[in-house]
Amino acid sequence: MEFGPALYHEFGEAWKTQDGYRLAKTISPDLPPGQLSSIFQSINIAGGWKSARDDDVKAAIKRGLSSSSARSDGIGQKEIKGWVEVYFAYWQATGILAEVQQTSSWTNAYEQWKVLINALIQGYNGHEFEAWTIPCLYVAGKHLRLFAMKADENTSVNDNSAAAFQDDFDPELQKHQKLEDCARVLNRVFSLCLSDRAPLEESRKWGLYYIINLLFKTYFKLNATGLSKNVLRILTAGRGDMPDFHTFPKSQQVTFKYHEGVLCFLEENYAEAEKHLTEAWNTCHKDAMRNKELILTYLIPCHLITTHTLPTEKLLEPYPRLQKLFLPLCQCIKKGELHKFDLALQEAEDEFVKRRIYLTLERGRDIALRNLLRKVFIAGGFEPVAKEGDKPVRRTRVPVAEFAAAISLGSEEKVDNDEVECLLANMIYKGLVKGYISRERSIVVLSKSGAFPGTGV
Amino acid sequence: MATSKAPSADPKSSSDLPAEQPQQQKQQTLEEDDEFEDFPVDDWQADDTEATQNQQPQHLWEESWDDDDTTDDFSNQLKEELKKVEASKNKR
Repeated sequence: MEFGPALYHEFGEAWKTQDGYRLAKTISPDLPPGQLSSIFQSINIAGGWKSARDDDVKAAIKRGLSSSSARSDGIGQKEIKGWVEVYFAYWQATGILAEVQQTSSWTNAYEQWKVLINALIQGYNGHEFEAWTIPCLYVAGKHLRLFAMKADENTSVNDNSAAAFQDDFDPELQKHQKLEDCARVLNRVFSLCLSDRAPLEESRKWGLYYIINLLFKTYFKLNATGLSKNVLRILTAGRGDMPDFHTFPKSQQVTFKYHEGVLCFLEENYAEAEKHLTEAWNTCHKDAMRNKELILTYLIPCHLITTHTLPTEKLLEPYPRLQKLFLPLCQCIKKGELHKFDLALQEAEDEFVKRRIYLTLERGRDIALRNLLRKVFIAGGFEPVAKEGDKPVRRTRVPVAEFAAAISLGSEEKVDNDEVECLLANMIYKGLVKGYISRERSIVVLSKSGAFPGTGV
Repeated sequence: MATSKAPSADPKSSSDLPAEQPQQQKQQTLEEDDEFEDFPVDDWQADDTEATQNQQPQHLWEESWDDDDTTDDFSNQLKEELKKVEASKNKR
């Protein structure tokens, strides 16, 4: 919005209704270049914007803000001073952003936007900014991260060739220079929200989850999951005097739960991961297909481990990518096709590793094996009924050789009995099979009351 | 995360494996499009949640084993294989 009566009117209106989102719109950089440049040129000072001195610009903004109706709605001199800094930084940013498509100077855009977010932080710390204005921090934080990524992208395109010849060049560090800097700034905003001791209804703590979600996205991109865990720890410690999680907007709840779930997942804490991801799934907007797909990418491996359940065709139907990713494996698990399972895992290894689900899915082999052994057990049929009217009992003494034949099926290699016994012992240890191995007679004696717990036989 | 650094005594040695290094890094970092997307709206009604869409969540997950289908190729192969084991045992 151009610097002029319209902007100052909007400022006053936002103030009157204490509408933080409305206020935040007045510092949005998400505008077409033409509009940005007309904002930059709209600053009303003698001699025009081209020869504008910083002090003159600030004085003009101050006049504007002071003339707005916010004055009668109780804005203080100190606050106005703080907002002058914010709008001044915004004005400078519009000048850079208006031309950034041509100049690609995303680093400049990032640095200038950092000035703006620092002005905001300063406003809360020293200029008595009120908590209802925190959506301004959202807009500032969100775009700081976007500009940081653009700047890093640009740096790596421009500098790679030259820098690669330097001896102490560390590509990882260089690649995310601005994004790492951005993480530090966002962390300050996090502290700013967390440390607010005002009563809850006028606390910056209402900004916590939005900022944490920005931090999560940033840390995930930096592969710094440890730092994300830190945020969770700090949050848990302060949970006592915070607004109830479910009173936050659902977009924030879902984004938070997704990241919390994935963090648990990466620590192999699948029960917790499933809990968080299920909540994210249930609360997610029904039309947010890509996000639902991402949630399922981790929820499906979770289910495999915690409840040994697989996604139905109905669940996967709207997600061709997930079908491609998981269906082959699921088919093999269901049928107990051990060798094919190994092949399917190998086939999509790169994709699984990239999504960090390989190791989890690999554990699905146990379930495939369980299902194969179970098939052998069922194929064994029933013991002859001793007395008429007795309930038929399945054959529970199964030669190891039968299991060996089943395990070797489909593969070129023959698996010897020792190895099969080892696999069986493992399955018994993991509670997937109930029974014992009689080595001298080379048979497996399975439990008469549920040889494969939880599967109906 | 381990970043391989060339030994300072011999700066040239880093150029020996230029093709390998970037590939390793590629595997460690997530794809661009892997990021959780911003929702177009901030909040929504319970009616618009996934949970309300699926009144029967039990239809989304199924047991991992398959009892109905014992006539597929693999099951038949397995039966053949088990018969062979049985036969060889009886011979002895």
